Amino acid sequence: MGTRVTFMASDEDEGPLVGRADTLTQVQSDLHNAGPGGTSAVFVTGESGVGKSRLLRETASAMRDAGFAVLSGTCLDIGDASPLHPVLQALRQLDHSVQPAGDAGALLDRVSQDLREVAGDRRLLLVLDDLQWADRSTRQLLLYLLAGLGDVRIAVLAAVRAEALQGAHPLRKVLAELRRLRSVRVVDLAPLDRDQTVELVTAITGGRIEPEDADRVHKRSGGNPFVAEELARDLRDGRVELSDTLREIFLARVDELPANAHSVVNAIAAGVEPVGHAVLAKVVPLPEPELIEAIRAAVAHRFVASADDGYRLRHRLVAEILAGEVLPAEAAALHRRFGEALESAGGAPDHARLAHHWQRAGEPVRALPSVVAAARCAEELYGFTEAHRHWSTALELTTDDVPERTELLAHAAESAHHCGEHQLALTRLDELSRRADAPGQCELHLRRARYLAAAGRTATAEAEYERALEAADCTPRQRASAAAFLAELLLHLGRYADANARAHDALEMAEVNGSTADLVRASAALGFSAAFREDPDAGLAVIRHAVEIAERSGRPDELGVAYLHLAELLTGPLNNIEEGVLVARRGAERLASLGAGRTYRTRLLAIAANGLFRVGQWAEADAVLADAMRHRPSGADAVELLLARCRLWVGFGDLDAAHRDLDAVATLLAGGGAKHVLPMLTLRAGLAMWQGRHAEARAAVQRGLTETRSDDLMLIGILAWHGLRAEAEAHAAGQPVDPGALRRLKVAVERMAAGVGNAAAPVRAVIGGYLDLCAAEISRIEDRQDPAPWAKAATTWDKRRQPYPAAYSRLRQAEAALQRRVRKAVAIEALREAYATATAMGARPFAAEIVAVAQRYKVPLADDVDTVPMASPSARPDELGLLTTREREVLAALAEGLTNREIGELLFISERTVGVHVGHIFDKLQVRTRVQASRVYLTAA
Amino acid sequence: MNQSVWGPAQREMTDLLRDHPDDVPAVVDQLKALQQILGQVPPLLGENPLCDFNKLYLTITEGVLERLYAGRFKDPAFLSRLDVEFAGRYFDALRAWAGAGASPRCPEVWAALFQRIPGPDCRPLPSACAGVNAHINYDLPFALVTTFDHLGTDPIDDSDQHHDYLEINEIFAEAIPGLRRGYLEKWQLLIDTMNGRLDDWWQGEAVEYTRNVAWRNAQKLWGVRHDMRATDQERAGLDRTAAGLNKLLLSPLGAFLQ
Repeated sequence: MGTRVTFMASDEDEGPLVGRADTLTQVQSDLHNAGPGGTSAVFVTGESGVGKSRLLRETASAMRDAGFAVLSGTCLDIGDASPLHPVLQALRQLDHSVQPAGDAGALLDRVSQDLREVAGDRRLLLVLDDLQWADRSTRQLLLYLLAGLGDVRIAVLAAVRAEALQGAHPLRKVLAELRRLRSVRVVDLAPLDRDQTVELVTAITGGRIEPEDADRVHKRSGGNPFVAEELARDLRDGRVELSDTLREIFLARVDELPANAHSVVNAIAAGVEPVGHAVLAKVVPLPEPELIEAIRAAVAHRFVASADDGYRLRHRLVAEILAGEVLPAEAAALHRRFGEALESAGGAPDHARLAHHWQRAGEPVRALPSVVAAARCAEELYGFTEAHRHWSTALELTTDDVPERTELLAHAAESAHHCGEHQLALTRLDELSRRADAPGQCELHLRRARYLAAAGRTATAEAEYERALEAADCTPRQRASAAAFLAELLLHLGRYADANARAHDALEMAEVNGSTADLVRASAALGFSAAFREDPDAGLAVIRHAVEIAERSGRPDELGVAYLHLAELLTGPLNNIEEGVLVARRGAERLASLGAGRTYRTRLLAIAANGLFRVGQWAEADAVLADAMRHRPSGADAVELLLARCRLWVGFGDLDAAHRDLDAVATLLAGGGAKHVLPMLTLRAGLAMWQGRHAEARAAVQRGLTETRSDDLMLIGILAWHGLRAEAEAHAAGQPVDPGALRRLKVAVERMAAGVGNAAAPVRAVIGGYLDLCAAEISRIEDRQDPAPWAKAATTWDKRRQPYPAAYSRLRQAEAALQRRVRKAVAIEALREAYATATAMGARPFAAEIVAVAQRYKVPLADDVDTVPMASPSARPDELGLLTTREREVLAALAEGLTNREIGELLFISERTVGVHVGHIFDKLQVRTRVQASRVYLTAA
Repeated sequence: MNQSVWGPAQREMTDLLRDHPDDVPAVVDQLKALQQILGQVPPLLGENPLCDFNKLYLTITEGVLERLYAGRFKDPAFLSRLDVEFAGRYFDALRAWAGAGASPRCPEVWAALFQRIPGPDCRPLPSACAGVNAHINYDLPFALVTTFDHLGTDPIDDSDQHHDYLEINEIFAEAIPGLRRGYLEKWQLLIDTMNGRLDDWWQGEAVEYTRNVAWRNAQKLWGVRHDMRATDQERAGLDRTAAGLNKLLLSPLGAFLQ
């Protein structure tokens, strides 16, 4: 016998699977049916013993047979397992050990890469049991994978104890959000009904059962198959009186175990599963033959199951029952032996596991090093929540008189800050400040201010920065740093004059004594506050200078921040989008050449893409986003990019892609991220409108209205416009306008109009544009057919240099004029201008709408463009003159019969961009197929 | 599991509860639909105690929605999430209800009210109060914790969120006296004119008192939210306490309230 005892009769000994055939089929088919992002997930919820794990096993085996690669992991209930435990455990079974990575995003990427390798060309099924014990990092990884960001064709099958979801478990919220997605199912596993219970009991007893016994089993088990099965065995084995509770059933069984087997069961119950044979042999000090005999007995009595990686109890419920039966001293002794066994095992120690045992062994001194090591390991894997729990445990293990406590407190505070436990971070910091060897006053104030600012308690944070500045022990460098942070905070609070004054001071100090980071921060605050106070040139000069300084330092973080600020200033308040885009792209290239600053690169590219979108260069925006997505963003950065890309899909009219990205956003937001909810709802409304789903658009906007803060003028502006537009489109389509929704939208517009006076000038300009659009939509809802408000809106957006809303306004302006039969020449010109803009951008649904209006009023859109539906494909040779140089290159390649991908490779542009060009070409040549387009080209050439 | 606790309304109930509303307007819609369905549950029909609670809750949620649209809250994102989370727990309890002794996942405090649906008849006011008690003393702390967790902020006294949370007290205060008068019969009207002010005051205090308790409990839960065992113990404790109060409210003694 080698390192483990095999459990021969595993399958036969398991009771039959009763009443789950339909569920099993359904789950498999749900897992097969990947959503638009190429992923799928089934979460099985149900009470303990209802058969979740069994369903997981059966499904996994069927899916393996169907050609899936299957990976299985189990989450641990030791409360402080290491980050990503179940997934890393699953990978280790296949000898993949994930290496540490440069940042949290890179780690997710690396895990995905390993999963892709494991899967090869198969689809991957990841099975996770006891997901209610999953750590935060595992949940984030799961969402990352399901959103399709890891580029793994993954199906996830996970079991969750229903009991856990009753309280405030984080999974509750995650599942509530995920269950709305088409690719996710939440299956609630109900107890068996009476007939099914009888079927199960009959199968186990071999048919010998009285009807009243069957009834009793059903009543006592409540249809719980695990309990019913055990009761049925009692019946079969002739135990006269049926036990009432699971506890009684198992305690009676335990009594029948041989003494050594009893020890084995208790040991495994105290261990962290799976318990390897070598470890068990050290914990249960028996000679090998006796140990093996004991294990065999435990297996035969159905307490223990054996697998390749070690022993487990057949059900965790049993461990919970046994835990109540073991004397505290016995338990402590077991844990001590586990600790000793694991320490002597050699190899890389599992610190989290060791910490778990030493703590329960009542040996704080031996536990502490393991706990600290586990905290550091967790930090290496960016599991700040887990790290924070370990640091907190370390504090519990030490008393005030232990000198290490000061350092532990500092770590505990910082890790709490990192994982968003703001309140706790502050409490720890308070305790730290009372230590004799605490850091200096200034340092403490700075840290407290930082924590407070992160918690959104800005007023108190401001006071703390002031205190830091006044502290007697404040060094010049700290003073520069505090002033720069304070200026940044004031800027966020919208107190531009204060921010400006503070930033001036900070800059002066930073130039003499500060770090480059302080200098960049102070410059940015000065630049933005100046721009908001209508002195943009002064601000711009300062930030440009900051970029130069960062360039000289060459440090990626400083470069990233400096470029980010400059690009934000240019594309934001200064509305100099072209230059902003240029700066953002240059910054991203610069960082790429250094091979660092991955987060900054992603953010810079997001700014560039958003800017390009606004100036109507959609094909280019698309190329930038494709580039940014190649950096494999995660978390909030990924959400930003997906939202930007989705906005593009909505504009292009690629509905499937838009839905896919919206689903991905919703998946990521299930893990938290409130500030992105409104942009998501706005896009949902925009998408629904193109599809003529007015009610859906209305619902998205109305939900948005209930979640906007009254000072978010920009967000209210976009939302209100979308809402009014949805009502107007519904009205135009002959459907009723919702008076309640309309009333609330008008209230929102009034709020916006009232608030705009207090806003900074750049904000005022944008809000003005939305107010114009809203007023114009209201005129449409009221059937006024008035071109004037639309003409006004068009002018405003022209001034903002944003062609899309300007063109949209022109379309409506023309439509109103044509309806009224006034100023037809102006209307035609507006319509043509809108059409030119729409086609240049590749805004297909929008262009189609313009064409529809043109057809309705029999207006020719261009002298040489036919507006009769089903235009004839035989265009004249000079039509190629409409094409841009790039489009002609694409057409030439297309005429050679190349695919989009091949054209992309030929011209060094993305496949997607080729698609956009092809769309433009089709629109301009009024053709519908590649063959027709080729014909036009070949005739003309 | 073929119990039809909802009688002829079983099917409609199952269909309705299949939806999980994710914004406040949808919660209002769901409560309205629920009001219709609950009115068909025999034998008491519209007189059943859950109907009384649901009606009150609907009124309150409509009040919340109106205030959201009117921009009356400091942090509407927080309040909207909270409202949805909060309501979700009531709907969960309804989903879990499969009759007395057969609903292991239905909180005891809700079960105490649900099992009175078929009678014996009890007064509308204590019924509505029993629902409020279940919802506020048991559901609310958890809804708060989930919401804060989702938004990534802590439950801190005097924060914007605390302010918004307390604003709801006013909605309750407005809703309860009004509803109350709607329920009164002649002889009770007499008592009410005599003690009306006192009763309104008492009741307003009760709501405010319990809601502050909910905030405190949420803060307590917040501290242990990563510890499943501790959370579960707290949950069981809250359930027991609140269920005890409900049994009292729904006993003949509770009728004195009205």
